[in-house]
Amino acid sequence: MSNKLISMQEAVAKYTWEGMTFAHGGALPVGSDCIAFFREMVRQGVKGINCISNCNSHGTNLLAAAGGIARMEVGFSGLEVYGFANGLRRAVESGKTILEDYSNGGIPIRVMGGALGWPFVPTFINYGCDQAWCSADDPDNYPNEKKIPEVTDPFTGKKIGVFKSIQPDVAVIHVTMADEKGNAIMLGTEWSRFELSRAAKKVVLQADYIVDTDCMRQFPNLVRIPDLVVDAVVYWPMGVWPACSTGIYDSDEEHFYAMNKMLKTEEGTEEYIEKYVKGYNTNEEFQEVIGKDKIEKLTNTATAFLMDPYRKWIKSDAEVKELMERR
Amino acid sequence: MDYTKNEMMAIATGREFKDGEICIFGVGLSMLAGFFAQKNHAPNLIAFTEGGVYGSTPVGGLPWGIEDNRISANATSFTNAIDALCMLVAAGKVDNAVIGAAQIDKYGNVNTTGIWESGAQPWKVGKYMLPKVRLNGSGGANEIAVGAKKYLIMAAHQKKRFTEKVDYISSPGYLNGGNDREKYGFPGGGPSAIITNLGILKPDPVTKEFYLDAYFSFSSVEEILENTGWDLKVSPDVKVVPEPTEQELENLRAVDETGSLRKK
Repeated sequence: MSNKLISMQEAVAKYTWEGMTFAHGGALPVGSDCIAFFREMVRQGVKGINCISNCNSHGTNLLAAAGGIARMEVGFSGLEVYGFANGLRRAVESGKTILEDYSNGGIPIRVMGGALGWPFVPTFINYGCDQAWCSADDPDNYPNEKKIPEVTDPFTGKKIGVFKSIQPDVAVIHVTMADEKGNAIMLGTEWSRFELSRAAKKVVLQADYIVDTDCMRQFPNLVRIPDLVVDAVVYWPMGVWPACSTGIYDSDEEHFYAMNKMLKTEEGTEEYIEKYVKGYNTNEEFQEVIGKDKIEKLTNTATAFLMDPYRKWIKSDAEVKELMERR
Repeated sequence: MDYTKNEMMAIATGREFKDGEICIFGVGLSMLAGFFAQKNHAPNLIAFTEGGVYGSTPVGGLPWGIEDNRISANATSFTNAIDALCMLVAAGKVDNAVIGAAQIDKYGNVNTTGIWESGAQPWKVGKYMLPKVRLNGSGGANEIAVGAKKYLIMAAHQKKRFTEKVDYISSPGYLNGGNDREKYGFPGGGPSAIITNLGILKPDPVTKEFYLDAYFSFSSVEEILENTGWDLKVSPDVKVVPEPTEQELENLRAVDETGSLRKK
């Protein structure tokens, strides 16, 4: 099938289920994660998710606060300058979410191993420290010798640690622009999105823009995610809000703090979900929830010039709608 | 001269960066110290972020994160974490870096993962106890600790932070001291200094135990000893760190546009 556009609701219904291994991002807390996809997961009441997270984001912070994350393997669990992630922190401190710690390089290396089809990858990182010796899955065992086992380098005889590779069931990846077939361009750092797109069994893209395939033919070197590894494409403008999408909108300082403050308590979380998760059905309504003035302010970004070479291929909302109907 | 303890800490950290070094900074204080150095005395310092944002400087204020648009607006290259954090940092190609710490011990081992009930070290008694306080985890600090040729640790000097043993080693310093790092074959050299809001600690070349090397004009050896949770050794040549010059303060404040370090 060459047209892979589906709605956000369909994507969450089809590609998430209890007990699955769900990878996302792979971005930093303030960077390009599929936050809108997480909102829809919360809306549909998805539970029992095993997350593979390069980093926590407001997406995982929200899903954890709503009780949806059973287990999380993660490199960084905060919100950078915005502080600690209150929703996730509450879930971990109360024992609702089991958190297995790695580092920001550890998760991408394990995903790369999965992408290459290797069972394990040698490593110095996360080795010789408590990321290796402590396992939340096997707590009675310290120092743990199974989480990052030690092996002997057959060439030198020296010791080195090994990571277990990961092949997630599904990866949901935010991209700046995609065509309807799933070719995608990411502006800004990729973090671990390239290897994630090759490691996961199913790949769903959340895109800020849908562009014509001619755009990909003009910049083929930048298409790091080609259509053949992609299963579905969801068009969702402002989908990273309140974090930033390089070239399109800045991080929303006010909402970032407000959201994290609300996720600190059960009541606040319910209130947040009522207003910012259940408060819309369509993307138009979602943008109304954010507010026209706010969107204008956020899209007035110093990175906007990065989008200039691609603008002529951007499809309008009406054109995307037509493509979805033709599917 | 009027300046804050945090400004002194940032300047003391910035002075450790030399011109031409390849450096990696995290968000917040670390980035301020680094870009201060670049503006003040190290114009050819090469900085990049762990996600692979190259050639850029902050635009419109201090970035909210290391992938934020404020650090992406004038980049010359965007790559990814395997490239920047693994191939450059973890593999040993970076000269200098800064990491933070919620807890730190006398061998420079850093905890940024969680605080458990005091003294219980629950991971070590055979059961996983939930953390009293869950912190942010390692982020890219583990790669810096393992791979950077040298790096600095920046932390507020408080007795509860400077402990005999950390609850969790997120980023390995010299582990149990001496040659203990060698067991693991880490490419990097380990922490070269701990810079606090009261003074500077350096590792003994043989035992790798951190001792007090210098204090600030507003602090004292006594104050530092009172705020350190282990029996801190003091260098026989302990000295006072030179105060910030007017030029240093001017350059730091130009980088710290929002005045985050000026709050007392």
